[in-house]
Amino acid sequence: MSNATETELRAGHSTLGRQVALPVLGLAFLTFLATWATTFQWIDETRTVLGMTVLTLFGVALLLMAAGVAGIGVLSRFGFLDTTPSPTAGLPVGIVFGTLWAFIGMAVSLQYIGNTIVYWGPIAFVLGAVGLLTATLPREDIGSTVPSAVLLAVLGGLIVAGVLDATWVYEAEWTGAIFPGSELIPLLVSVATLLGVWSAGKAKEGFGAQGREVGAFYIIGTVVFSMLSVLALLIWFIVKNGLDTFLTGASLTGGHLNVPFASISFPFIEVPFVTNVTGSLFVETPGVMPAVVGTLWLVFGAVLFAVPLGVGAAVFLTEYADQGRFTQVVEVATNGLWSTPSIVFGLFGLAFLVPRISGGNSIFVGQLVLGFMLLPLVLITSWESIKAVPDEYRDASAALGVSKWQTIRSVVIPAAMPGTITGVILGVGRIAGETAPLLLVFGGAPYPSKSPNVVGQFSFSTEPPFITNQALLEPASALPYQLYATITAGVFPRPEIYSNQEFGWGTALVLLLVVLGLYAIGVASRLYFRRKLHYE
Amino acid sequence: MSSNTVDTDQMDSQLTTSGETAEDIEDAWSDYQFQGEAKLSVEDLDVYYGDEQAIQSVSMNIPEESVTALIGPSGCGKSTFLRCLNRMNDRISSARVEGSVEFDGENIYGGRTNLVELRKRIGMVFQAPNPFPKSIKDNISYGPRKHGDLETGLLPSLLGRDDTAEEMDLVERCLKQAALWDEVNDRLDDNALGLSGGQQQRLCIARCLAVDPDVILMDEPASALDPIATAKIEDLIEQLAEEYTVVVVTHNMQQAARISDQTAVFLTGGELVEYDDTEKIFENPESQRVDDYITGKFG
Repeated sequence: MSNATETELRAGHSTLGRQVALPVLGLAFLTFLATWATTFQWIDETRTVLGMTVLTLFGVALLLMAAGVAGIGVLSRFGFLDTTPSPTAGLPVGIVFGTLWAFIGMAVSLQYIGNTIVYWGPIAFVLGAVGLLTATLPREDIGSTVPSAVLLAVLGGLIVAGVLDATWVYEAEWTGAIFPGSELIPLLVSVATLLGVWSAGKAKEGFGAQGREVGAFYIIGTVVFSMLSVLALLIWFIVKNGLDTFLTGASLTGGHLNVPFASISFPFIEVPFVTNVTGSLFVETPGVMPAVVGTLWLVFGAVLFAVPLGVGAAVFLTEYADQGRFTQVVEVATNGLWSTPSIVFGLFGLAFLVPRISGGNSIFVGQLVLGFMLLPLVLITSWESIKAVPDEYRDASAALGVSKWQTIRSVVIPAAMPGTITGVILGVGRIAGETAPLLLVFGGAPYPSKSPNVVGQFSFSTEPPFITNQALLEPASALPYQLYATITAGVFPRPEIYSNQEFGWGTALVLLLVVLGLYAIGVASRLYFRRKLHYE
Repeated sequence: MSSNTVDTDQMDSQLTTSGETAEDIEDAWSDYQFQGEAKLSVEDLDVYYGDEQAIQSVSMNIPEESVTALIGPSGCGKSTFLRCLNRMNDRISSARVEGSVEFDGENIYGGRTNLVELRKRIGMVFQAPNPFPKSIKDNISYGPRKHGDLETGLLPSLLGRDDTAEEMDLVERCLKQAALWDEVNDRLDDNALGLSGGQQQRLCIARCLAVDPDVILMDEPASALDPIATAKIEDLIEQLAEEYTVVVVTHNMQQAARISDQTAVFLTGGELVEYDDTEKIFENPESQRVDDYITGKFG
């Protein structure tokens, strides 16, 4: 092929190339999964499989992949495979490989020659240049296989040769942490398999435009997988640590569900950690009930405060205010308010609201402060979703002789409801886990012996505001607040039952469940409105 | 048969009707004699969008219980003119309207006009079908409900004023009038957005009928529809003209010829060039420009 831009209409589909590339891809994918399983410690890295430890097996897999990838590249270059490569793999690929090669050079020279820039500097530079040139100068089939095959082979070779094994420890000077090989090697192998997947994916489609397409697809796919893995790791870590605490004394039929006014009770699921109070001396299993109730009241009050105000402001800004400088300023200010650190809101509550409302920490001030924090997000999202309601609806309503306010109430706001709820979901997720402002305006005893009884404390009085609620004006506990108090307090009051850490992890798990529960309620109500509006 | 052209030589217009008087000649519009009474009469209407003039001094009378078609090339101001008839142009902040539009003898631009009442009596159907994202039934009853003519729900039924039966009658009557009843009577509670485009447009017409208007304005009601749906809408328009005054804007000259009793031709710049019986406009127009437009030499 003399001309670079001339490509055959049918991309090359060499059967041999595919036959080699597919097993390499499969091997890379399996290795990738196995490295994550090892990182999560689902696979014990000292286990022996096929006569080798798991880590050695990773090394062998990398060597096989290197051989396969390089083999396709070389065979394709010498015309044994029917492929359609571009003249070069491109400068970005070259830069990536140059950097990786330079790192390898640096690592090897640091290990065997010494920690002096005079030694490792030139070596890293030369290797980096070689990596860059290998990737960019030859045709694409060499440029995108050989540099990655060399990297795979070096890593795999070091592992198989036993230079890197489970007992190897990387002790860096720049940090007090140490990196044991049993954890570092799976991560390195996982990154290396990404390179292998990319090369093999390109090779499978015979390089060229289609090859790049597939290579990019595999890379993006594995990145998404890694992101989900990190998320799963997070949740799994909390569940694993908190589950024992959570299930203390739990049983499927040990509890009682009392039917109100009928003095009948049924056996019911019992989870004392969730249903018991925290601080009482007489409670057998201390629980987090007061904090759960406190969190729910906080979220409820904040939503009750922020949603009508936010939606009302959004209606004014879209339907009544002239679009111009004023609305722009409001938009910028609202975005700024949303990014304001929560401790600032807390400080405002402490200095302004506490002395004016309750004279001390209280649920009500906590609700208001969290409501202030929620307000900008509700405003932004409902503003956007009201703007997105088609003008056709407003025209149609006006042409029927319906007034503007009635149109807003019965057409515009219902149509904007799903978007608004999305905003509330996001905001509730944030405020339910908020700790900093609660430390200042809300929190009372970290281990309360009773839940705040807000519903039962409403009472009428003869002076304004005529309805008062003592429970709302008293401090309480919330899950994130209690978590913070538990971790920093040092000693849990009932060390014979829970250690500090056990109680903390249990609280974290309940917090996670509460937030997920609120999230589920939000998603369900959004789904309801979407169904109703026939959006899906 | 009478005719009139309103271009630069409008004073030369030919008047062949009996009973013409000197005032008829002075007032360019009273000379076009149609059957029935003028429902809407427009005098010297000018519309500006900012500095740009969209309608230039248009005067015309629209007879009741008939179909009046407004035709002309894109951007000639026919939709703008239509939106002046129920003051929908008020919703565009840059629009400015001068002149007068009399509806049953009252100037709707005279100040102190009750827009709610005006738009109840002069309904409008838009180019793209725009049903609300509500059920078919709620789309129909939306207008009367908001005007307080229908009360349903918990509180009215407790007070003994529940209009559920009336609502069902209204829905059935309007859907039958709009020739949609047979297609949707088994799914009145389904969302209206699930209907096809033609059905949605007929639903919009039914929704407009539900507030019991005198005049129905239609802005290219069939331009987004396929030929079969278009034919249904056209049949419907002809039936509606027996009871209502219908004004239709259309791009489609065959459509105007098929359904309308009289036709007004707008040409570029928002100028009403000729207004006459549809037959006359399409067979023997006075103005050369209208003839060119209709035969396809221009526009």
